Amino acid sequence: MVKFELKRDRVLLRWGIEKYEWCIEPRYWRNPVIGVAILLVLPLFFYSYPHLLTMLTTANLLAAIAIPLSLQILGTARVNFGPQFYLGIGGYTAALLNLHLGWSPLFTLAGTIIVCGSISLLLSPITWIARGLYFSLITLILPLAFLDLTYQFGDIFRGEVGLFGMSPLLDLGRVRWNYLSYYYLSLFLMLLYMLTADKIGRSRFGVSLAAINENEDVARMMGINVSKYKVFYYVLPSILTGVVGWFIVHTFRSFAGVTYLPLEFMLKILFIVIIGGRAFVYGAVPGAYAVCVLEEGLRGFGHVSHWIFPLVLIALIYVLPRGEGLWGLYHKRHPRDYFPKLHVRRE
Amino acid sequence: MLDIQNIGINFGGLRALDDVSFSVGKDEVVGLIGPNGAGKTTMMNIICGVYRPTEGKMFFEGNEITRIPSDRICRLGISRTYQIPQPFYAMTALAGVVTAVLNGKKRPHMCFSDAGLEASYYLEFVGLFSKRDELASNLNLYELRMLELARALATTPKLLLLDEVMAGLNPVESERALEMIWSAQEQFGVTLLWIEHVMKIIMKAAQRIVVLQYGKKIAEGPPEQIVRDPRIIEAYLGGKH
Ligand SMILES: Nc1ncnc2c1ncn2[C@@H]1O[C@H](COP(=O)(O)OP(=O)(O)O)[C@@H](O)[C@H]1O
Ligand SMILES: [Mg+2]
Repeated sequence: MVKFELKRDRVLLRWGIEKYEWCIEPRYWRNPVIGVAILLVLPLFFYSYPHLLTMLTTANLLAAIAIPLSLQILGTARVNFGPQFYLGIGGYTAALLNLHLGWSPLFTLAGTIIVCGSISLLLSPITWIARGLYFSLITLILPLAFLDLTYQFGDIFRGEVGLFGMSPLLDLGRVRWNYLSYYYLSLFLMLLYMLTADKIGRSRFGVSLAAINENEDVARMMGINVSKYKVFYYVLPSILTGVVGWFIVHTFRSFAGVTYLPLEFMLKILFIVIIGGRAFVYGAVPGAYAVCVLEEGLRGFGHVSHWIFPLVLIALIYVLPRGEGLWGLYHKRHPRDYFPKLHVRRE
Repeated sequence: MLDIQNIGINFGGLRALDDVSFSVGKDEVVGLIGPNGAGKTTMMNIICGVYRPTEGKMFFEGNEITRIPSDRICRLGISRTYQIPQPFYAMTALAGVVTAVLNGKKRPHMCFSDAGLEASYYLEFVGLFSKRDELASNLNLYELRMLELARALATTPKLLLLDEVMAGLNPVESERALEMIWSAQEQFGVTLLWIEHVMKIIMKAAQRIVVLQYGKKIAEGPPEQIVRDPRIIEAYLGGKH
């Protein structure tokens, strides 16, 4: 039995002995509204440059991979070095189901969620047994092993070439309209992830997450079921990442493991997380846009970009506040904690 | 309330605890003393489910807790402080206590901001309300100890385990800390199992004292009897004075 109550500045939700609260004070909306408005208007300027629109779409998708990764790093207190593993699984699941069984995008979405969910659930015990370097190594190897599989079973995965010709999510009839619609869809996906991560971060689960990230043993002694949290925060981000793979399959309409599974792709994601700010999911957006613009800008330099790209990133990391990244510049007047100041309200 | 039966544990070749048994009654203050490396902290870790004992059993309010993980131990009503303070350094003082409020005992009808209010009550109790928005990394040792006490109390324990709260505090601070522990016992009705190195304080505070040496229990009794026991004077006090 769920009951809603509307107060002046918040919505209350009661459910049995549980009570949840959602603060809806308009003064907190200003900056998010400005940010979203910018992202909404931005593509209109690039309407006649499809490759720039693709770049922005890619930026949104990279952010949509980095946001769950931030959440996962906090919730499992471990750095996953292979988030693109689930991107690959999600993408291939959607593509194969669509090509061979003719499932529509809606059904392939369900398939992706189920497959990514079960594989990550099966693998989730590694968050209990492996710490630090071991966890990083295991997660680093998984996508590379999967990449190998795509070559070995070339008749299914079509290794080098990849799969193509999947049915589109949306077809507006005109190529430019399609590019624009894909931008907005990817923006919607990214904002959805952001909202989810933001809601988790500002709730009671956010404090538990921060506590686990600080010290697992002490968190457990505070009554947090750390093992359960770690499984949840391994599985949920994995599914979210898999859904990005599904999205790529049904918008770009081609999917190849070589693009998404190798180390370079993962480095890009990790750089986004680092430049964006490790503890702040919002940082993923400026981070992703910065990385994409940088990549686009350096494309003309050919092979040199392989060297310049990491160098520029290292310089950025060096200049930006430690662990807070781009978001930290904006946020630097506040104490460095995992969520906004708690206000004690006496009524 | 707490019943420890023949607990033993090995760390590699080291026998850290050997056949230790004692019990803690309700509303009692039991002191656990012994020289450095005697196994006091290890005992506490075993009670809290951090280490699994190699042999022996433990009961809390009649339920066996020998192989129960820390989070369930906490929700059964056992809480602890650490010898070396282990606050959540990158979290504000209030956020640390909020964690304990939200995850300790199940409190009905408590949303996130209500938990802030509840947590501020515990902070006020230990005298840290004005530091609620400080990061724990900016607090001094006394404040960290008090923060740990607030955090431990916020999980609403029935049994509170204190691990050398006085270590490193100056006389004024330890006097204040002692006051705090007394009023905590009074206000929240907690039973204390108290590890302490400062003999003067534990002799005054505890109703019963258990003495460990090299992982073995060598004596148990009221403080007056313990201070007169020649074995303890030799083993524990003798070494120091
Ligand atoms: N995790 C561990 N691994 C190996 N040895 C340990 C561990 N914890 C404690 N010990 C050893 O157990 C003995 C008792 O330690 P401890 O319980 O910390 O003593 P104290 O009475 O000073 O608190 C020490 O010799 C210590 O080295
Ligand atoms: Mg000790």
